[in-house]
Amino acid sequence: MTLKVEQDWKDIVHRCFRCGYCKFTYDYSDFNCPSYKKFRFETYSTGGRLWLIYGLITGEISWSQDVANVLYACPTCGNCSENCRFDKFNDLLVDIIEAARAEAVEKGFCPERQKALIERTDNPEMYNPYGEQNSDNEDLKKEYDLPDKAEWVYYIGCTSNYRQKNLRDATLRFLKKANIDFTLIDEHCCCSPVMRTGQINSVKDFINFNITKINNAGASKVITSCAGCYRTLKKDWLKYGADYNFQIYHTVELVKELLDDGKLKFQSEYNKTVTYHDPCHLGRHMGIYEVPREVYKQIPGIKLVEMKRNRENAWCCGAGGGVKIGYPEWSVEISKERLEEANTTGASVISSVCPFCRTNLSDANDKFDMNFEVIDLIEIIDKLDFEITNTKH
Amino acid sequence: MNDKNILKELEDIVGKDFASNSSGDLYIYSQDPGASIPRPADFVVMPNTSKEVQDIMKLANREKVPIVPMGGGLTLSGLVIPVKGGIVMDMKRMNKIIEVNELSRFALVEAGVTSGQLLAYLNENHPKLQPPIPDAPPSVTIAGNALIHGSGYLSQKFGDHGAMINGLEVVLPDGGLYKLGSCAVSDYWFTRGPIPDFIGLFTSSFGTLGIVTKLSIKLFPKPKMRDIVFGLCKDPNILPELISNITFTDVAEDILLGIQDKPDWMKGYTFIIVYITGESEEELNNKTKILKKMYRKAKSRYMKVPKRIEDIFLEKPQFAAKAADFRKGGGFEYVGAFIPLQLIPEIIQIGIDISLKHGIVPTLGARLIGQGHSAMFFISYSFNRADPEDMKNAREALHDTDKAVLEIGGIPWKAEIVGQQLILEKMDPNYKKLLKSIKNLLDPNGIMNPGNWEVK
Repeated sequence: MTLKVEQDWKDIVHRCFRCGYCKFTYDYSDFNCPSYKKFRFETYSTGGRLWLIYGLITGEISWSQDVANVLYACPTCGNCSENCRFDKFNDLLVDIIEAARAEAVEKGFCPERQKALIERTDNPEMYNPYGEQNSDNEDLKKEYDLPDKAEWVYYIGCTSNYRQKNLRDATLRFLKKANIDFTLIDEHCCCSPVMRTGQINSVKDFINFNITKINNAGASKVITSCAGCYRTLKKDWLKYGADYNFQIYHTVELVKELLDDGKLKFQSEYNKTVTYHDPCHLGRHMGIYEVPREVYKQIPGIKLVEMKRNRENAWCCGAGGGVKIGYPEWSVEISKERLEEANTTGASVISSVCPFCRTNLSDANDKFDMNFEVIDLIEIIDKLDFEITNTKH
Repeated sequence: MNDKNILKELEDIVGKDFASNSSGDLYIYSQDPGASIPRPADFVVMPNTSKEVQDIMKLANREKVPIVPMGGGLTLSGLVIPVKGGIVMDMKRMNKIIEVNELSRFALVEAGVTSGQLLAYLNENHPKLQPPIPDAPPSVTIAGNALIHGSGYLSQKFGDHGAMINGLEVVLPDGGLYKLGSCAVSDYWFTRGPIPDFIGLFTSSFGTLGIVTKLSIKLFPKPKMRDIVFGLCKDPNILPELISNITFTDVAEDILLGIQDKPDWMKGYTFIIVYITGESEEELNNKTKILKKMYRKAKSRYMKVPKRIEDIFLEKPQFAAKAADFRKGGGFEYVGAFIPLQLIPEIIQIGIDISLKHGIVPTLGARLIGQGHSAMFFISYSFNRADPEDMKNAREALHDTDKAVLEIGGIPWKAEIVGQQLILEKMDPNYKKLLKSIKNLLDPNGIMNPGNWEVK
């Protein structure tokens, strides 16, 4: 079931009973909703938010900055959808919150900090939420000797391109070494940050622009190393009516495919104890839990250990849903809790497959002197020697 | 004192982040998921310690501001709705499991510990023990459930959950901190007596006498294996004796009844759900055989159900809140009547008649309490929260049910204010007098959850 922002959410929201399953882990051993765990008032549970939204719809409560702030104090991690027992509408909970945020924007109650996301993304000099000069990626194409047209487009994503360049470069090196026929485009933001914060007016233009660029590159496959972009391209673009014929891959899916086909063989070891952090956008939002784990397990020397809360039960890194920009201190507190959990596993490395998770986990690691190595899977692979056979994928 | 100053004082006590009068918070804490009409709260506060509760209580008493304690807020009967405004005190920051005593089998918990939290904690750290938990979501509190005379798992064998309280720490309106039960004399919170028992004052009084900050609850051995044996009965008149006979055999950990018109194949039957436990398959098989024989003898029959149905009933806690979406409306409320066993056939008919009169699909059931001493029989009315008329209809059905239950000799459990008034109307005048005297003694300013148990 796909939520139609224009109508359906208003007919569904009253069905939340506010039973509170949405706050917990599967086994009820802990609160797994970052927002409820922080603020503790019922208002900040997903049930509370849905009731507020219902109150706004009926007019029992008026829009105010206070009310809008409650709607925005949520990383939209999807723990609520995962644990809500009402299976007729539980997969719509995050969509409903985002739809309500869009209404907040329309009514003029988008919080100031989150507004920066759309101001920068809409800025024709930038087209990214970080406020950086837009990169048309031509320099990278030259550096990596990439063609104008190819079977694959590597959609870098703003976080990798402007904040986690090592992750981007590791991906580029991997794709080259793997003999993937790929290119880059002058990409604009996938719009995840503005969609998550309800600032959706120009989303369709961005989607159309990016799709046109991908089509112009002649690509039938798009690969990204960002869990957020992956979710947005594969799920949200369709929700916004996009029509495209290319397939969407996360880097980890390609790595797994190459390993399964026997085309990729690791030739050196990574002798460290690693714990894997499930990005919400890849895990709960897209249902991909085992693919990354299967890749880690095939890396020689690695010892993969699990945190107590993993897979559908994973604790969010705290960066998503506009929380990183809106509540910077709380955002790293959420990551700190993740690192503390990682600490109990005996791992020295916490790894993920999302540049945004990597950023926030690194920020917490630095801020709280946690002494972890925070690294993306593709960066680990970049450190290894490997052999590629059956060239040209 | 004006609202601004009260908020400031509350913030000084609990910290700025945990006292609020923002419109969003007040809106949420002015209502509950049942059919009761919302009433505006003035403040919401979340204390973290007993000392903070004492300070808030002193402030409320000094300023004569109503104060309403709240656990999970899921009684459905509006008991945490601030009928006369004031401060709603959400206890859920007080969430420490202070002690689990394996030998004497009790857990000492703060008032905000949820049933899910204690269940998970015991599963991990004391796997041989199980807590009494209600048929409610895991977000309800252990204290809240016990203090409303809740029932649920283990009630058949060991009584209602209120009876499982070993001790309480209570803050009274004067701000004093009181220990009740063995903890008043000993370091062990292991029993209610043998001293004058005041714990009963705080059960089913719905926060009108004081605020419980800590509670010791009995724990029970967890058998290795657990199963369910379903029975199907066409004639409700045989139920009292059949159930009584089952309790004589001592095979049942819990006994539930279910009666509903939907889906169609369930109409006209009472489903008997008996939980059995054991240390081996053989023991379970023997108990199953005993029950099958008893069903046959009572002109009922054993019913084999698919595993998915078994799993629904074996889940702890059961997902009873699914009733809220029966009509895609997000709401249900029920009259849960405490009744003697002989009233079961009569109350089934009452439930069906009232449901049909109000155009609601009959959904009824029961939990046996205390080896056949009583049953909590519920008649549930689902409603659409988006339809005020439908909610009004549910309230009227509840009211009709309260009246009918009292007429036949039952007592509505955790009754909403209207139901409480019906109970008071029927109550022995001297009991009422005593209730009023105790209330006036402990709460002379009438600040504790006013509107509830109001003896006029």
